[in-house]
Amino acid sequence: MLSLRPEEDEKLRKLLTELNRESKSKIVLLIDKSGQLISRSESPAFSSDDITFASLTAGNVAASEALSKLLGDKNLNHMFTETEDEGIYMILIDDKYILVSIFDKNASNLGIVRVKIKKYYGKLVELLRQIEERIESESSVTEQIDVEDIDLDTLFE
Amino acid sequence: MPFINFATREINCKIVYYGPGLSGKTTNIKWIYDHIKPENKGEMITLATETERTLFFDFVPIEVSNVKGFKVRFHLYTTPGQIIYQASRKLILKGVDGVVFVADSQEERHDANLDTLDDMLENLREYDIDIEDLPLVFQYNKRDLPNVLPVEVLRRDLNRWNSPDFEAVATKGIGVLETFKEITRQVLKKIKR
Repeated sequence: MLSLRPEEDEKLRKLLTELNRESKSKIVLLIDKSGQLISRSESPAFSSDDITFASLTAGNVAASEALSKLLGDKNLNHMFTETEDEGIYMILIDDKYILVSIFDKNASNLGIVRVKIKKYYGKLVELLRQIEERIESESSVTEQIDVEDIDLDTLFE
Repeated sequence: MPFINFATREINCKIVYYGPGLSGKTTNIKWIYDHIKPENKGEMITLATETERTLFFDFVPIEVSNVKGFKVRFHLYTTPGQIIYQASRKLILKGVDGVVFVADSQEERHDANLDTLDDMLENLREYDIDIEDLPLVFQYNKRDLPNVLPVEVLRRDLNRWNSPDFEAVATKGIGVLETFKEITRQVLKKIKR
């Protein structure tokens, strides 16, 4: 079970925010391959639904990975999608996570984004591995969770 | 695999609606989406063909807050039912925390139910997910049609794990909520374990 402690959440967010600023992206997201949004840069101007974006990105990467396997390649490393105004660059980390930069093509470009990601990639991998090690060393995190009194009836109109 | 963020006090879980083509998977999550309060739901995404057959997946995020504890976000996915989309179905099962198997109760669709169940078991095996340990709910849909099999037959052939099961008419919302509540209950129970 993947979990983030407050201090880890802060470190991740800080790192992604720095990357976002240096690469002049609109937002940088960290997603796991099943489609969960793990962290994102502090980018108040980004107004799209990041949860939905994470799900679609994971689907997109999964489909491209399956395509590359069909072609006989072992792994997909990164991919790039371009719209009229925006670039979306996605890179796999440890074959478990996806780092995504969305940038305005007038403000940044693929080269800058890739160089800046390269700069932060090592730090990010290290941080994620520390988190994984902490998760493995913990017997159970779930005692601290109180989900007993969730009332699903209140969800519906 | 649930994702828990102790900083934002959020729990994220993935629930997949699986079943043969045209059994009503999209109808189920569309009904849930249409009846949930706006503040509790995100955007519904449908990747479908022009004839409204699911091509890759549908996605609905649902948020439930409770006062004391955590906010729980359920990510509901459907798989494409048609046989040819086997590869896509497998991709969607990645990291799944709970499965709703939506069966088509009509007699002529029973073989499709069985084939799809086999396909699901194989895909779960490939991800090393033990079905005995996976929250699982069965739904026998389309109970309002004239040519349906008795529930006992569906239960015997499909629900080999004695999982909770429900009869449904998803187009009218009958059984949809019960199914959803049961799978979420099971998923949360497993997190607590």
